Amino acid sequence: MDRADIVHENFLRRVAEQDLGFKTSDLSLAEAGLTNEQLVSLFYSQALSRQLDRKSRKMQAKGQGFYTIGSSGHEGSAAIASAFRPGDMAFLHYRDAAFQIARAAQVPGQTPLWDMLLSFSTAISDPISGGRHKVLGSKALTIPPQTSTIASHLPKAVGTAYSVGMAKRIKPEHQALADDAIVLCGFGDASLNHASSQAAFNTTCWNAFQGIPLPLVFICEDNGIGISVKTPVGWVEATMSNRPGLEYFKCNGLDIIDTYATAKKVADWVRRTRQPAFLHMSCVRLYGHAGPDVQTSYLSNEHIENAEAHDPLLYSAKILIESAGLSASEVISIYNRIGDRVERAAEQIIKLPRLQTAEQVMASIVPPKRRCEPVLPASKEQRQSTFGTADTQALDKPQHMAKMINFALTDLMMDHKEVVLAGEDVGRKGGVYGVTQHLQKRFGVSRVSDTLLDEQSILGLAIGMAHNGFVPIAEIQFLAYLHNAEDQLRGEAATLPFFSNGQFCNPMVIRVAGLGYQRGFGGHFHNDNSLAVLRDIPGIVIACPSNGYDAVLMLRESIRLAREEQRVVVFVEPIALYMTRDLHQPDDSLWTHQYPIVGNQPALTLDSVGVRGDGKDLAIVSYANGFYLSAQAAKILLETHGIACRIIDSRWIAPLAETAIIEATADCKHVLIVDECRSTGSQSEALMTLFAEKTKQFPARLAAKDSFIATGPAYGVTMPSRDDIVNAALALVNSELLNSKQTQVEA
Amino acid sequence: MKPQSALVICPGRGTYNRQELGYLAKNHQKQQLMLSEFDARREALGQPSLTELDSAATYSTSRLTRGDNASSLIFACAYADFLSINREKFDLVGVAGNSMGWYIALACAGALDTHRGFEVVNTMGTLMQNALIGGQLLYPYVDENWVEIPDKRDQLMALTHRIPDLYLSIHLGGMIVFAGTEKALKTCEQALEPIQDRFPMRLHNHAAFHSPLQQPISAIAKQQLPPHLFRQPTLPLIDGRGHVWQPQASNQADLWDYTLGQQVVTPFDFLASVRSSLREFAPDNIIVLGPGQTLGGAIAQCLIAEKWQGIRSRQDFIDRQAEQPFLLSMGIDEQRAIVI
Repeated sequence: MDRADIVHENFLRRVAEQDLGFKTSDLSLAEAGLTNEQLVSLFYSQALSRQLDRKSRKMQAKGQGFYTIGSSGHEGSAAIASAFRPGDMAFLHYRDAAFQIARAAQVPGQTPLWDMLLSFSTAISDPISGGRHKVLGSKALTIPPQTSTIASHLPKAVGTAYSVGMAKRIKPEHQALADDAIVLCGFGDASLNHASSQAAFNTTCWNAFQGIPLPLVFICEDNGIGISVKTPVGWVEATMSNRPGLEYFKCNGLDIIDTYATAKKVADWVRRTRQPAFLHMSCVRLYGHAGPDVQTSYLSNEHIENAEAHDPLLYSAKILIESAGLSASEVISIYNRIGDRVERAAEQIIKLPRLQTAEQVMASIVPPKRRCEPVLPASKEQRQSTFGTADTQALDKPQHMAKMINFALTDLMMDHKEVVLAGEDVGRKGGVYGVTQHLQKRFGVSRVSDTLLDEQSILGLAIGMAHNGFVPIAEIQFLAYLHNAEDQLRGEAATLPFFSNGQFCNPMVIRVAGLGYQRGFGGHFHNDNSLAVLRDIPGIVIACPSNGYDAVLMLRESIRLAREEQRVVVFVEPIALYMTRDLHQPDDSLWTHQYPIVGNQPALTLDSVGVRGDGKDLAIVSYANGFYLSAQAAKILLETHGIACRIIDSRWIAPLAETAIIEATADCKHVLIVDECRSTGSQSEALMTLFAEKTKQFPARLAAKDSFIATGPAYGVTMPSRDDIVNAALALVNSELLNSKQTQVEA
Repeated sequence: MKPQSALVICPGRGTYNRQELGYLAKNHQKQQLMLSEFDARREALGQPSLTELDSAATYSTSRLTRGDNASSLIFACAYADFLSINREKFDLVGVAGNSMGWYIALACAGALDTHRGFEVVNTMGTLMQNALIGGQLLYPYVDENWVEIPDKRDQLMALTHRIPDLYLSIHLGGMIVFAGTEKALKTCEQALEPIQDRFPMRLHNHAAFHSPLQQPISAIAKQQLPPHLFRQPTLPLIDGRGHVWQPQASNQADLWDYTLGQQVVTPFDFLASVRSSLREFAPDNIIVLGPGQTLGGAIAQCLIAEKWQGIRSRQDFIDRQAEQPFLLSMGIDEQRAIVI
């Protein structure tokens, strides 16, 4: 017999027999702040959650449903939901169905029974994911959907909590949370151990320790086991009850009176103090991890039956009978009638259409556009005042990329109050390479903030800020540092519109200093030359400028894409070109540019490429440092070898401007792809594929070795050099000449 | 045989028309005791009795559409219909109502007992009639096949932003009921293209229900009808926001506050009410209490809006009704026979 049926039968039998000898809270309803009606209402939510769990397993068995990880045993979360407001953003644990149902009862017009069944069935009309996935989530209930399985949602919960105080001051146009909102974040006791959880706790404490407002409640639902691995008894309390700045609360999640009373205390405390709390809710896990999980293979019958004997619905039944005056039969009637509703609704749900095509599945990878109020550029006086005398004068002179990005950031932050900057050393120091110099002075510490040294937290901060209407520009100091945090982009930021059918988005720009060719500094940790970790993430935009002029226009376009189209943009800045001024010889200043004034130039849109030269002998397709070196090589090829080149800067790594690249190279005899990133997984693979699939050209490729980068004199030997490009070009063009001559001889 | 699950929907104003004259006499001889108590109460208030109104020789629009008469008459018909439902055949899973039908729903669901239900309806009808603030106007956003016309609803809603003192009153499944001052309604009428020989349709003797113009009525009603009149419903109630009030889980003070406050002065979203009813209770049938048949069309349009059980057009609905009726209107004799 299915354990779900055993638990069900136990409930009916034990309530009917009033075999409910549990110890429950000594608090009266009034002391707990509950009324009879609220208590019964909580039971409705719990019972619906339970009946939905039961139905999900039956639907799955019949091939009508596709998800069986349930909330049974965790129904105490209904009481937590009731202690908070529906506008308090909640990043939920996947076992929090009862939370969502109880919150739905606070908002008129919600249909949680129907909506949950739609998600089990993956019907297109599932209101949160559009049939893409079974996720908890609701726009109307301020519950963004996410995976939560590896606790990767904790860092963004911290970021969202941080945003609340900021939004109160700055009032971004798309502010989503009330000024007195609280952010909730649920997870299991096993997920507590994830690095992302620990990073989030640390960041929370780091902020709270300094008195920075962080209205955040972590909710650890401790059922004592993670799939088959038991959590050491007492571990959660031992590790979490003495963290600096994080107030610890504990409740018995089997008992809705105790849970509600504690959650209410937490809610009141956090709303009043704006400081974070950790709510530790003990509970049980019923029926194993998921439908197919055979828990008898790793748990004793005694353990399983003990958990089942502590079914929270039995506790609730006892409380309803003793505290709310219901009879046992009334409790059973509520439970059964909800079961009947679920059965009837499921009969309708299973007939509803599901996604069929790739286009349908992919429709929400790219977020929808949103309406933004038009913004007038700052006045001349305001700009002069903000830039200061020295930089106002510098604006009129050609500058290198680092300075120009600094100018662009200044203009963007001046024009858009919702743009905020955060990262390691970006504030007081002005960035490792000075790119963010003066910005903190210009815009204040709240808009230009130095974070602690943790990349997960930086990206979580950006995601969280974006949830509340900001357009964050987060900086990852070096490309190599992205890797310990990349799941925040891959698993969280990029998937949010996908899982929410475009209803929740986290528009942002992540600036990353990266790529190789730094003389005298770095080695691998500061000169990573692989973008592969970003390139395969559906939906994100990757920008990689080769010069200051493009960087300015691309950064403006990136902010526009984030602000108006809600895109996640990764803006990779080639460190070696930050300060580069000259192209061919010292002091030629050919790699400096005049700063383009806002609004005076057409945007560098995602479908555009840069074209330098109009030669037809050879087109070199590249980006960033590769484009710069190709420009050097082109001069030699023309002047020494008589080969007229055209160099294409692809600018946008993703999405690739395929049409523009093909058009820009169409009338060239040869195509050489130059890629400073590693041969394997690099952009040149995509370019080679593009030419192979969509043109009749057979390009040659020059890419970096599959190596890490060395420190010292050998810093550049694994990557294409100017001379490598010249040689590759000659080899390509000469091989064609050779073939041509051979053909003539044979003829 | 296992009873069919059924949702009950209670009718609002405008459902006791010429054809319904004599409805009580025809259908509810068994409820004479209750009706005579209603009559006695009305006579004590100096109002014509329901028996007198129902048994009039001819239908007088001016008399029978007055709020103080129509409300109580419709309540009596509908509530008596509710009592006539064969509960062995039908397991009632929830009660909703349209506009004034909400008061009837409260009584059917047990949140008001019979006499208090009557008291609330009679009081509200009388208050509305005595003040008669503004009026109502009806206009569809579906075509004659009850299929939604793209953007039409938004265009209609835009009028409420453009014309001062014009409000959304009721959101029916395929129609908008506007509320407004006389001037606002005239401006609205001029802005709307005449269609289907009927629309825009002014609703005779109706006030600007469910709009801020009723604020004074709400205030007086709260004085005259105290919270203790209300009690726990015994059946789930689905209100004009689509919110479900569950038995034993409903706060009576909140129910009172919604009924005499928000419900009176903000739009009544009947579509949301039907949507929640369908989705959360998935009934085998909907039973529409009499009198009248007009609410059936609005409910059918809600079913189409929801694509409920694959019903996507008027013809789908007609076909479904012919095959095995989903909607059972007690105002239609053949369907009434199935219900009682």
